[in-house]
Amino acid sequence: VTTVALERTRPSGLVGWLASTDHKRIGLLQIGSALGFFVASGIVALLMRSELAEPGMQIVSRQSYNELFTIHGSGMIYLTVTPLALAAGIYLVPLQVGAAEIAWPRLTLLGLWLFVAGGIAMYLGFAVDHGAAKAGWFATYPLSSAANTSGKGEDMWICGVFLAVLGNFIQGCAILATIVRKRAPGMTMARVPPFTWTMLTTVLLAITSFPVLLGTMAALEWSRRFGGVFDDHYGPVAYQLLFWFYGHPVVYVMFFPFVGMVAEAVSAFSGRKFFGYKGFTLSMLLFAALSMSVWAHHMFATGRIDNEYFSLTSTMLIVPAGLEYFAVIGTMVGGAIVFSTAMLFSIGFLLLFLIGGLTGIIVASPPLDYHLTDSYFYVAHFHYALFAGSLFGFFAGVYYWFPKVTGALLRESLGKVQFLLMFVGANVTFFPMLILGYEGMPRRVATYPPRFTDLNLIATIGGFVIALGVAVFLVNIVWSLRRRIPAGKDPFRGPGLEWWTTSPPPRLNFDSLPPIRSYAPLYELTEEEAAHR
Amino acid sequence: MILAADTRHQFSDLFSLYEWVTIVTAAIVFAVVLAAAVRYRRRAGREPSRRTEATAVELVYALILSIVIAVLVWATFTTEHRVDAVAAGARQRVDITAFKWGWRFDYREADVSVVGDDNRPPTLHVPVGEPVLFVQRSEDVVHSFWIPAMRFKRDAWPDDTTRFELSFGRPGVFAGRCAEFCGLHHADMSFTVVAESSDRFERWLAAQ
Repeated sequence: VTTVALERTRPSGLVGWLASTDHKRIGLLQIGSALGFFVASGIVALLMRSELAEPGMQIVSRQSYNELFTIHGSGMIYLTVTPLALAAGIYLVPLQVGAAEIAWPRLTLLGLWLFVAGGIAMYLGFAVDHGAAKAGWFATYPLSSAANTSGKGEDMWICGVFLAVLGNFIQGCAILATIVRKRAPGMTMARVPPFTWTMLTTVLLAITSFPVLLGTMAALEWSRRFGGVFDDHYGPVAYQLLFWFYGHPVVYVMFFPFVGMVAEAVSAFSGRKFFGYKGFTLSMLLFAALSMSVWAHHMFATGRIDNEYFSLTSTMLIVPAGLEYFAVIGTMVGGAIVFSTAMLFSIGFLLLFLIGGLTGIIVASPPLDYHLTDSYFYVAHFHYALFAGSLFGFFAGVYYWFPKVTGALLRESLGKVQFLLMFVGANVTFFPMLILGYEGMPRRVATYPPRFTDLNLIATIGGFVIALGVAVFLVNIVWSLRRRIPAGKDPFRGPGLEWWTTSPPPRLNFDSLPPIRSYAPLYELTEEEAAHR
Repeated sequence: MILAADTRHQFSDLFSLYEWVTIVTAAIVFAVVLAAAVRYRRRAGREPSRRTEATAVELVYALILSIVIAVLVWATFTTEHRVDAVAAGARQRVDITAFKWGWRFDYREADVSVVGDDNRPPTLHVPVGEPVLFVQRSEDVVHSFWIPAMRFKRDAWPDDTTRFELSFGRPGVFAGRCAEFCGLHHADMSFTVVAESSDRFERWLAAQ
């Protein structure tokens, strides 16, 4: 199969980037923007950890602290991990399915602009009277009403969430269309690579759940201005049900793509085809279906929902999660494992996400959740899942695909230092929180009784170790781009089509395509060559 | 002595089951991942396996996971029935009103009311050895009534009342606080619980 690349004159420089309809440029811009928000929201976290290093108020006021945790959570969820997940899909899915372009490139670009505009709106809240939003990242009603949380910052937050989620929703549609309509000849659904499969389930969730949040945010803004939507009997419960109908699926939007990245990296660095592909793809579909029916497990302590149903569906998530681990570990077993930075982050992901998952099973039990919900146990649980899980997966993906994207290798030595700092930092930060929560420290407090001091100080130190790891990562990127070590087409002998084309890929991705006979077409090719010799 | 809705004991029993499952699972997975990483590291002469499916193993594994789920869900449901049970015969009833940022505890039959806010947190007196019925409501936003020592919390809503029962098994003084973020002084919205014998409790109530 041959694609003929038509060269047109393209605007260069800044306009060439900001107005580009090339999915690779859009993807990179989105990763860059999301990493910008990641650093900003990380600095916000360091401010919080500094305030929490000892009891009492030292660094910020109570109100500022409430703004900080609201923007930290919102910045990480709406502006960092979700956009990173979709950006990875925007960049990689067309390459993995052998397409020249993403479907609907202009809409994909619009999605980027909406997300960035939303992020700026949210952060500009710090510049207005009464400060930024301060009702938490899920803004329960009536706390988020105009009477209880006054100030334009909260309205800017609603606007920001709406724009960012709308942008990511549009991009989800484009990725789905690409997978459905743009696969190269020969690539049946049973030959779609693991990462693209995780992306498919991700965008299915995004498309079904994100519109609910758009409606909820519109209704919340209406309530703030004119009142009425959530003020009646059951109104506050309805708000929470609507919010979590988005809020739980989005947890998996922030998880699936990173599992896919780990699957690809583990396959390449074990030197073998991904193991248990069928079980893995089925488990992703089961995962997606179940994750649409667990949302109210955030509400066990409300006393106003059917706890047993949501406890059952949530505990059943053990099956797809277990199958996923089976496939990834099964790929390592029997492989010839190279301990690259990407592999280390993948192993870190397997170990630390497990802590997030297992503590998740604990809080899926209502009688246990009655005590643990809204405590630091819960904070530890979702940071193990989102930071030590998803973001470790993201870094595995960065170290694996950076050579493809830039044509240059990242420094492995710096990468290993980063991994060590982050692995140690994550545990030092988040493990003490499990104990703090169990002992009775609630989340979202700027001060606490003196008996919680030691563990909080340890967590604060851990937070700065993580920050050091992020700094090493940024240095590695700059250094590796300045003093380039050329990567070549396929430095790690990857399984997917993206390793067939040049690094970085040309505007329309491929000059030619190999025959596609499995989900690891490049491995098939090597095997055939070996057979001919 | 274990009473119906003695939430602390119910929690401990269930938590030790989950803790055990968690630690065993973590130990197995950690061991397998690290052993695989060491055993299958790249060495001279090692050819990666070509095997891509092990359906029988996977099915057995999925079956084991399903059994674990069944056990956990059964234990959870049984415990929850006990924790959520509200018997008709509770002698003592306390009406809780949560507000920004404090609590009011009403003992209606004795016409006694205790109020406190973030500057002067109130004290909740309860008798030990018998179920106490709580009927809870909020005056403004959603709050949550949490007694960590009882391993229990329940949200307070502005649009409806919630009812629950707690049995305090032993006398003591416990910390209580709001667990649902409720605005500026959420961190200071606390209360103290004094659980005491029926006699002492009755004397306290009469002295108010």
